[in-house]
Amino acid sequence: MEISNVFNRSKNLFPPILKDCSQRLLVNPLTWVLVVIMLLPCFLGLWFYYEFSDERQFEEVDGEKVYYDNNGGLLHVELREAFLNLSSLFIVKFIGVLLAIMFSSELINEEFNRKTMQILRTTPIMSLEIIFYRYVTGVLCMFGILASSSIIMYIVIMLGSGIHGIIEELEILWLVIKIVLFESIAFLGIFCLISAYFERPFLLGIVYWIIWEMIVSGTQYQQITVSHYLESILFDGLKDIGWSVTAEDYGLTKIVNNEVVNIATEPITAMLVMIGIGLGTVVWGARGLGNRQF
Amino acid sequence: MSEIILNQVTKNYGKVQGISEISINVDPGLTGILGPNGAGKSTMMKMILGLARPSMGTVTVMGKDPFTDWEQRNKIGFVPEFDCFYEHMSGLDYVSYFLRMHNYEKQEAEEMARASLSELGLEDSMERKIRTYSKGMRQKTKVARATVFDPEILIMDEPFQGADPSTRHLLMNKMKEWSEKGKTIMISSHILHDVENLTDRIILINNGRMLASGDRHEIRKLMDHIPRQIKVSPIDKANLRILAKRMLDEEWVRAARVDEEQGEILLETDRAETFYLELPKILQKEKIAVTKINSDDDSLDSLYDKIVGGSQWK
Repeated sequence: MEISNVFNRSKNLFPPILKDCSQRLLVNPLTWVLVVIMLLPCFLGLWFYYEFSDERQFEEVDGEKVYYDNNGGLLHVELREAFLNLSSLFIVKFIGVLLAIMFSSELINEEFNRKTMQILRTTPIMSLEIIFYRYVTGVLCMFGILASSSIIMYIVIMLGSGIHGIIEELEILWLVIKIVLFESIAFLGIFCLISAYFERPFLLGIVYWIIWEMIVSGTQYQQITVSHYLESILFDGLKDIGWSVTAEDYGLTKIVNNEVVNIATEPITAMLVMIGIGLGTVVWGARGLGNRQF
Repeated sequence: MSEIILNQVTKNYGKVQGISEISINVDPGLTGILGPNGAGKSTMMKMILGLARPSMGTVTVMGKDPFTDWEQRNKIGFVPEFDCFYEHMSGLDYVSYFLRMHNYEKQEAEEMARASLSELGLEDSMERKIRTYSKGMRQKTKVARATVFDPEILIMDEPFQGADPSTRHLLMNKMKEWSEKGKTIMISSHILHDVENLTDRIILINNGRMLASGDRHEIRKLMDHIPRQIKVSPIDKANLRILAKRMLDEEWVRAARVDEEQGEILLETDRAETFYLELPKILQKEKIAVTKINSDDDSLDSLYDKIVGGSQWK
């Protein structure tokens, strides 16, 4: 009964929250500072393109230009690695996390600062509804920004390998987009939870990121971190594309009885864990919000 | 049954006591909560709104616990003391936004918001961003948001703070109107005059404790043993000293002070009823005509002064 009420209310609650929150996130100058930082490697890509585009060798295959480097290797194969390294290091592990911390802080903590949360708490909606629609808006915005930036970065970096190279390596782009989607789902949930319980979510978020996602994720207890599941999706995705990668390359191993054991999680399991983290933390955060006193 | 019942409610914030052992029943109509800044008025209101939980005691609003029963919040409107706006929104968007939270359809919410804002005199500015609003317009927008869905109970924390005279007048008329419709309205204020103009039903609190509640005249009667000051102004100023001397002959007059400049005598009595009964007889006997006999002691200012000394009143 209650679930059907929540569902019926969603058509009235979600659109205004989506409109207001997305506007707040997208007009926030900090969002655009992070976007600019995220796209800095693109300038490097453009410089590389103009500097070396004349030195490229090519042959025409079925009317398409296929570019080669000086050693005769396919240029798009070289550039795809550059794209993958830059996007996984820069977009996923750095800007993505900062964006999640900033968005959750704007969506939840700022409502406390503006005291609009007190007004929301006097309206006849559940705490879960207050936090969930904000979370969904945050995920959509974060995913939108990260995915668009990934696409721009991909095009700029792969530009050197021509249209052929851009089309040839699209699978890498989809893989990165898949990773930023699940990153948005998991990290935003965690940081919304922190925002619902604590008054300084920015600081705590960064402490969590450094201690949990950077230090613990490199140890044998990495399966309790989001980074492990993101790396597992990436590792499995690359294997599917046909890259020659090992679990060790992505730190997805641990030593058991002096033997290195592959601990990469199956991609479906990893995705379900991420969704579980996202939803679980939102429910937990709603509980915190509901019990919070003013 | 009263709409709002607080039973032996205590609220502590760590070691700091917000309110202590407050018991009140609030019936439909207008009730004023009076007390200086930091007296515990807002804390009491937050508990009624379900924004805070009592450390001890129980709070019941329309028979339910406001902290856990979130569904009945569609019957309670809240005008906070503080600003609580999405500054990037227009007044119309802001009121509509919260109506949507009350599960109204977009079109209906917009129409209702428009009507409510117009009723409060914001018809020309409702489409402007809130960040451009004056203090009075902000106050009206808060009131529009809190009343647009026609709540049964209206909690208003310092609703006149910062409001210009015309806004103040408008809000007072609206409150009287809503009160006449049978709504339960609770207003907190530290401006005594505002509450005095609206209602006789008051709750006096200070330092988190309830000092008195009920009709302000009745409260005054309960405090009859507390000396009351009454001003008497003879027509002929030559009678000032004669009358003062005569009054001091009565055992129920504790003190008399002559104010030549104002042309009045300030008399202090601890038996107000006897005073009002006997004074006309004395005046008649002494053949002294007076222009007025008045006591400011029924005013809330004086009530508060009597109870807490008024030292913290701002």
